[in-house]
Amino acid sequence: MRSKRSFRIGVVLAVAAGALCAADDLPKGEAVLDRYIEVTGGKAAYSKLHSEITTGTMEFKAMGLKGKLTGYALEPDKRYTEIVLEGIGKIQEGSNGEVAWGMSAMQGPRVKEGDERAESLLQSKFNPDFTWRDLYKSAETASVEQIDGKDCYKVVLTPKTGSPITKWYDKQSGLLTKMALTSKSPMGEIQSDSAFSDYRKEGEITVAHKMVTHVATVELVMTVENVQYNAEIPKDKFEIPEEVKALMNKTAK
Amino acid sequence: MNRRILVVALVAGAVAVAGQPLTPAERNANIESFEQVWKTVRDKYWDPRINGLDWQAVHDELRPKIEAAKDMDEARRVLNGMLDRLKQTHFGIFPGDIYRDLDSTDSKDDRESDEANPGIDVRVLDGRAVVTGVEPGSPAAAHDVKPGWIITHIGKIEVAPVIARISKQFKDSTLLDLRLSRAALSRLQGPTDSVVHVDFWDAADKEVSLDLTRARPRGKLTHLGNMPPQYVWSEWRKLRPDIGYVRFNMFMEPEPLAATMAEAMRGCQDCQGFVIDVRGNPGGIGGLAMGVAGWFMDRAGVQLGTETLRGLTVNFVIFPRPQPFRGPLAVLVDGSSASTAEIFAGGLKDVKRARIFGTRTAGAALPSVIERLSNGDGFQYAIANYVSQGGKPLEGIGVIPDEEVRLTRKQLLEGKDPVLEAAIEWIGRQK
Repeated sequence: MRSKRSFRIGVVLAVAAGALCAADDLPKGEAVLDRYIEVTGGKAAYSKLHSEITTGTMEFKAMGLKGKLTGYALEPDKRYTEIVLEGIGKIQEGSNGEVAWGMSAMQGPRVKEGDERAESLLQSKFNPDFTWRDLYKSAETASVEQIDGKDCYKVVLTPKTGSPITKWYDKQSGLLTKMALTSKSPMGEIQSDSAFSDYRKEGEITVAHKMVTHVATVELVMTVENVQYNAEIPKDKFEIPEEVKALMNKTAK
Repeated sequence: MNRRILVVALVAGAVAVAGQPLTPAERNANIESFEQVWKTVRDKYWDPRINGLDWQAVHDELRPKIEAAKDMDEARRVLNGMLDRLKQTHFGIFPGDIYRDLDSTDSKDDRESDEANPGIDVRVLDGRAVVTGVEPGSPAAAHDVKPGWIITHIGKIEVAPVIARISKQFKDSTLLDLRLSRAALSRLQGPTDSVVHVDFWDAADKEVSLDLTRARPRGKLTHLGNMPPQYVWSEWRKLRPDIGYVRFNMFMEPEPLAATMAEAMRGCQDCQGFVIDVRGNPGGIGGLAMGVAGWFMDRAGVQLGTETLRGLTVNFVIFPRPQPFRGPLAVLVDGSSASTAEIFAGGLKDVKRARIFGTRTAGAALPSVIERLSNGDGFQYAIANYVSQGGKPLEGIGVIPDEEVRLTRKQLLEGKDPVLEAAIEWIGRQK
């Protein structure tokens, strides 16, 4: 009886000791995230940013479907993205800190609600890597994993609302190499994996210029062509389109 | 970004490149393409068990055949033979020649098209190829070809034996009507300004022989990724002062289609009912089924069905437009309504938003994409299974109308459209 109990206690202690060791070996999540800021430009450089205009391309390679992407972001929480896909037309998404919406010729206007709204509002925060402490309640380094042959810290970020996001940072360079998240919408829960590469400087900030995202069996490649920081953005870029307002008015009634 | 269309059916017979011996480079490209097709099915087919097939054994059996293929036709037969083992629609290889125009540096609008036709729509009714529509202003209209005429010969081909062979081959398939009409339509198609000789029987069963010029099809030539270019149009009108009617030949080009829908809604705000005609519509962009449905749905959260990919389930949710039409909605279908057209009609029937009129649809409703292969050919493959909101797949079953109404030659000759008339009568009975 005693020997059995001792064995159990021994197992529990061994597991606990292992966990402690693992935790001791790994840097804290916040250290990994702070290092990312340092290696991509530093706090001082990030502090100078107030707006951002990003242009790029996107391609569903297997389908031969290509498009152009333009994103506008303004601190503290305004974002508008416009994608024009050949044969599909314009797809717009926006949020202003309160309302998150989408609109396309294919689906028409829609106002995001629930988890989808929470995710969009979170993603529309300006400079989220720099201000992560305001957005996430925790950042835990879970393990070291190999991504494309490189050791990476796996960090799980838990937002104040919504699902956790997992990010992998290169142990050596400190750069973000991969991100996994689950997006919720009326169309279902969609899990995606994105790989980041081709880091180059845009002004004082080092930016990943290539992002390859996999959703189930579909691959999407996004390429950044240009990032303009602190450029003036016309205010109407963040206005809610009339069609979306009509939908909001209808819901309000 | 899912896209649905029976591309293989549409281009079948349109292009033929046979008999040219392969160069070593072409043979290698075919072998590479074989591996690409085989791996794609292995890695992306929604059922990881590949319908219980021993997929490795299929590879090992067919690999020597692709290595030994003497010309492109034989290579394509091997590739299609591999895909046929899946027994599903939306899997197929089509010749790279159809990309000729896409790959050229000419302006898109100036490109030649092998889809030119004399302006005739055809269905096979009671074993005979019958003209069901004549495009106004087309070469066929200029020669006074009328709905209800029977086509007996296209070029040197006698149509009746072709119909008999296809009817036998597809007698138990929901694809029968689609295959029959495509067999006639593909023979009428050809390069712009070429001439096709067609023998008809007119209303009095008198033989009429005409040399018909093939004209550029109606609509705008559109391009969507690797999908072969398609001519797309949409239209709306009032059938009566109180009934709106919308028709479009494919679920493509979202912006012009949305403009047509918006105009129809504005012009028919006080209408008693609406008719959406997707007869002969082979599908297109899957998301547009939800998009068009949004003009007729005022409740949030309603879905047309569910798509299942490997590792992902997508709800086909309808997002209501700000001011949708709430009155009676009739959807017209036939055996040539396929893919997205079936998802649209089947889903609206299942959620009891529309009443469906016509004949059973093609039962070919799998979400698919098209890739280019190393040998230049196109490879269409389904990436997901689809189940309509009623709980049944549409593949191999199709949409069964609430009111089955069949076209007859007699009614066509009288200038009638019994399917449309049934829909109008039903709308008239609704309060």
